[in-house]
Amino acid sequence: MEKLTVDALRTLARAQGLELSDAELASLLPLVEAGRSGLASIRDIPPETEPSSQFRIF
Amino acid sequence: MSELCWTSMTELARMIASKKVSPVEVVQAHLDRIAALDGKLKAYITVMGDSALAAAKAAEAAVTSGGTLGPLHGVPVGLKDLYCTKGVKTTGGSKILADWVPEEDATVVARLVGAGAIVLGKLNMHEFAYGPEGLNAHYGTPWNPWDAKTHRVCGGSSSGSGAAVAAGICPGALGSDTGGSIRIPASLCGLSGLKPTYGRVSRAGVLPLAWSMDHVGPMCRSAADCALMLAPMAGYDPRDPTTSVLPVPDYAAALTGQLKGLRVGMLRAFFLEGAAPAQRAAVEAAAKALAGQGASIEDVDLKTIGLAPGASHAVLAPEAYAYHEEWLKTRASEYGADVRERLRVGAFVTGAEYLKGQRLRTLLKNEVDAALAKLDVLLAPTTPFEATAVGQNEVRIGDQSLPVRGSLIRFTRPFNLTGHPAASVPCGFTADGLPMGLQIIGRPFDEATVLRVADAYQRLTDWHTRRPAQAA
Repeated sequence: MEKLTVDALRTLARAQGLELSDAELASLLPLVEAGRSGLASIRDIPPETEPSSQFRIF
Repeated sequence: MSELCWTSMTELARMIASKKVSPVEVVQAHLDRIAALDGKLKAYITVMGDSALAAAKAAEAAVTSGGTLGPLHGVPVGLKDLYCTKGVKTTGGSKILADWVPEEDATVVARLVGAGAIVLGKLNMHEFAYGPEGLNAHYGTPWNPWDAKTHRVCGGSSSGSGAAVAAGICPGALGSDTGGSIRIPASLCGLSGLKPTYGRVSRAGVLPLAWSMDHVGPMCRSAADCALMLAPMAGYDPRDPTTSVLPVPDYAAALTGQLKGLRVGMLRAFFLEGAAPAQRAAVEAAAKALAGQGASIEDVDLKTIGLAPGASHAVLAPEAYAYHEEWLKTRASEYGADVRERLRVGAFVTGAEYLKGQRLRTLLKNEVDAALAKLDVLLAPTTPFEATAVGQNEVRIGDQSLPVRGSLIRFTRPFNLTGHPAASVPCGFTADGLPMGLQIIGRPFDEATVLRVADAYQRLTDWHTRRPAQAA
């Protein structure tokens, strides 16, 4: 997975309507990276595994 | 200081019903103690002295007239300040909601009051429940009563609930638990706390952190008091479609003290092996105590447990962001710096990642269910270490340096993902006199067994009866 940069994060933030300063983006970057890489490293989920979220009509 | 402030909720209810004490005396004793101690403790955001005394007088009149009394008649409780209270401000520990006054009570508040409880006030917390240390930049960080000299965290996010019950300025309180926010302060403050099964207790009227991981539950000084509080709280609520229609058992009747034949799993890898030596020894000793009463103990390893941090990030962060999105765009400067940054992280989790987290959650839940198909409960430390000093960011265990924040939720968060009921009860003290917690995890909707084990353990030990020196 390609590493995020501050500039890439700024673009993503703006797309969400968040205007963040350079200092704020720099501080956020390692947290966002840690979350992304942690998830990306998890593979081999059995294909039949459904999300635990449910939609039920009683 | 009045001994009434150290009397259990169960005993207070008995004393009030049998006219041995008036609810007015009980409430006044607590209000006096709040006035004496809370300047330092900072457990309360709002003290509801006038309404509490008025309710106590009405409760006294009901006792005198011989009317039907609820199970908590005249017993004071505190509410974490994210429970909506009609006509009383509900801040969520935030500046953003500093002046917000709800028009309705949360369902659990209405149910507790309907059972006779008297609300003493609204309790401090980590801002919007997003932090396991229990810090608060707006209302002051609650002081852990177990250390008079050093300002230590109470654990969070229900830090005010932890401080208040531990210091005897409230006999029982409501906490809420999204990653451990009932069990962590229970562990760090020497209390008994229960996170019920997801769906056992209504979340209606409770400010959310993450809808699919939020749980509502009691924090008290004994498992028996948790059972007393849980009974009126539990059950289906049309205002919360995730609540279950399963009947609510008689929790008090489940407290038999019986452990013979109980099958206990010790969560060793990740949990016990990740804790500091004192916590490991305390949990091992607790298991031995249960075995001494006829329980069988076997080791259990959860192979999918390593998925929990990733799954939690994928689910919790975007759910929290979704709730706060508008305020983050328009009122960002009003958040504390730590919570603002934590919330913003959720903006960068994709839909696919969110669903990956939900799928990982299914795997984890299935494995815990499989373990509990052969066992009645699982044991683990509640936290890897005891209460740290405010401002301390790292803890050393052996040759490892661990971040305080991430480590505090390590052992509790998995059961917010799976939804299983989990309690924390005191199981010893460190050499410095700080409490440690034993976590007891049960099958879905089997709070009765979790409480039975917790109560039976408390019949064998006296950890839960000790009082912090500065508050004694």
